Amino acid sequence: MAPVPSKLYSDDVSLLVVLLDTNPFFWSTASLPFSKFLSHVLAFLNSILLINQLNQVVVIATGCNSCNFIFDSSSVPANPNLENGRMPALCSNLLQKLEEFVTGDEKLSKEVLAAGIGSSLLSGSLSMALCYIQRVFRTGPLHPQPRILCLQGSPDGPEQYVAVMNAIFSAQRSMVPIDSCVIGAQHSAFLQQASYITGGVYLKPQQLDGLFQYLSTVFATDLHSRRFLQLPKPAGVDFRASCFCHKNTIDMGYICSVCLSIFCKHHKKCSTCGSVFGQAQSDGNSATDRKRKTPET
Amino acid sequence: MPQVKIIAKNFMDMVASLPAMKLDALYHNTFICEAILRSLPPLAKKYILQMLYIDVPVTAKAMEEWVLADGFSKHRVAIDRLIQLRVFTETSDRKKETSYRLNPTFQTNLQKHLIYGGVLPREPMPSNITVRLPSLDDLEAYALGQWECFLLQLISSTQTEKLTNFSSSMMKVFQRGLLTQREKEAPRLTESGFQFLLMDTNAQLWYIMREYISNSEERGVDPADLISFLLELSFHVTGEAYNINTLTEFQRNTIKDLVDLGLVKLQQGRKESWFIPTKLATNLSMSLSDTSSRKQVVHKTNYLMHSSTAHVLSNHYIA
Repeated sequence: MAPVPSKLYSDDVSLLVVLLDTNPFFWSTASLPFSKFLSHVLAFLNSILLINQLNQVVVIATGCNSCNFIFDSSSVPANPNLENGRMPALCSNLLQKLEEFVTGDEKLSKEVLAAGIGSSLLSGSLSMALCYIQRVFRTGPLHPQPRILCLQGSPDGPEQYVAVMNAIFSAQRSMVPIDSCVIGAQHSAFLQQASYITGGVYLKPQQLDGLFQYLSTVFATDLHSRRFLQLPKPAGVDFRASCFCHKNTIDMGYICSVCLSIFCKHHKKCSTCGSVFGQAQSDGNSATDRKRKTPET
Repeated sequence: MPQVKIIAKNFMDMVASLPAMKLDALYHNTFICEAILRSLPPLAKKYILQMLYIDVPVTAKAMEEWVLADGFSKHRVAIDRLIQLRVFTETSDRKKETSYRLNPTFQTNLQKHLIYGGVLPREPMPSNITVRLPSLDDLEAYALGQWECFLLQLISSTQTEKLTNFSSSMMKVFQRGLLTQREKEAPRLTESGFQFLLMDTNAQLWYIMREYISNSEERGVDPADLISFLLELSFHVTGEAYNINTLTEFQRNTIKDLVDLGLVKLQQGRKESWFIPTKLATNLSMSLSDTSSRKQVVHKTNYLMHSSTAHVLSNHYIA
C-alpha cells in the first residue's frame, strides 16, 4: 500500500475540527453515558488548547437531521476576562450551544424511526469541516495545520455513501487527515476508508471509560510529530461500496466505464452521466461485463 | 532570526538550574506549569499529555517503543529536557532499569488546570473606577516608548540625565558584555552589543530579564519568586487594570522596575491605583516556545521598530 503523501510541517500549531455524533438514538443505548463522554472530550479539547497558544479547536455537532458549529476557540470571547478561566468558559459555551443544537435537531425529525438506531449526518459535518478548513487555507501561508477528528457512534448510513466518499476525496486532495475514533458497537466502513485514504488514524477503543487516555495518546498527536511517533495502523479496511440506485451495500455490481458510478443491477443507461450501456449479458455468462469492485493494493 | 529561540532557551536553562525544592515550589502555580509545558519541544508536550493520568513509572524502554526510527533523536532531546526541568523524575529499580514518571506536583496541578481551568489570583478592576484607561494602541506606543528609553540609557556613554529609575549599579549589570567597561576609557559597544541591538524586541527583553533575574539574589530577591511573578504576569490580559493592592510588597517593588522596561503601565485613580500589563509582558510566555518560525509575522512591527531604533541608537553612539 503506497504511503499517503502529506505536507511537511515544521511546528506543532494545529487546527483540530472535531465532529461530535449527537444521535440520541445511539446515545440512549451506548455503554458510555453521554455526560461522561463529554467530560473526556472537554478535557481533551482543553489539553489541545493548552499545549500551544496558537492552537485552535472547532467542534461541529453531527445530528440526525442537521449539523452545526457549536464551538470555535478562535471566536472573540464576549468577556475577555473569561480568557483566563478558559475551561469554565469553554464548557459553558459549548454545552449551551450543544443543548440548543440537540433540541433543534430533534424538532426536525419528521417521523419516528421504525427500528434500529439510524445514522447521523456524517457527510454533512464532514463537508462543513472541509469548507471551514478551505477558508483557513486562504488566510495565507501561515495557517495552523488542520485535521479532522470524527467521534462517531452511529452506524454508517449507506444512503450517504456518495457524499461521504466525495468529502473523503476532497480531504485527500487538500491533504487534510481524517482521524476516526469509533465509540459505537460496530466498526465503521466509511471511517476506515476515510482514515486510510487521507492518512489519518482509525481507532475503535476497547475500554471507553479510558477514552481520555486514547484521545491524548493517539489523537492529540499533531501532524508534525506523526512522522516520529508510532500510531495505530489499520488491520484491514472495509472497502465495500453502496449502489447508487438503492443505496444498498454491495461487493459485486456493475460500473459505468465513463463516470465509475456503481449499480447493483443492469440499467439501460447511467443515471449519473447519461451514457448508454450496451446489451445486457445474461447471468452465468463470461464475467467480462461484470466488474467486481475490489480494493486496490 | 533565531535569537528568541536561543535566548528563551537560556531562560528555561536558568529555570532548570534552580534548586529542586524551588522548582517544585514553582510548579504549585498552574500558570507556571502551562508556561513550561508550552516551552517544550512538541514530542515532550505529547509525552506529558500521555503521562498525565499515569501514576506508576513507565520504563524508558517502553517509551522508546512509542517512537519510530526517524524520531529517536527528537525523543532523546524531549526526555532530556523533561528531566532537566524536573517535569519527569527518573528512578532506577533493582534491575538497573530506568523509569520515568511525571513530577507529582506538576502532575496534580496540570490535571487541575485541565479540568477546572486556571484562575488568576486577581481580577481586572471594574471600568467605573478605572477611568482614563489607555486604548490598546496608546498602550503599545507607551510600552515601546519606555523600552526605547531604556535602550537609550543602556548604551549611552555620555547620558548624564537618568532616563529610567534603575540604579547605576543595576544598569552596569545590564551593560556587562554589551559595552566595554574599562577604566579611563569611554564605554564602547562590543560585538555582542551590536548583535544585541539587532535582535528583535522580545529577544532583547528576554536577555535583560535573564540578567535581571540572575542578579536578583544579590539584591535580596528570590529568583524563583521573580520568575514565578513574571510568568504569571504573562497570562494577564493586555490593557486590563489590576489593583496594586493585590500584589505582595516584593511584587510591588518589581512592578516599578517593570514600568521602566515597558512591561506595565501604572495609573492612579481617586482612591485606588492599578497596573496595566502591556503586550511586552503578555508576549513573554509565547516567545518561550520552540517554534520561532511563526513569530516572524508577529514581530514584523517590532523589526521595523527596532531597525529604526538601532539606527537612532547607533547614530547617537557613533556621534
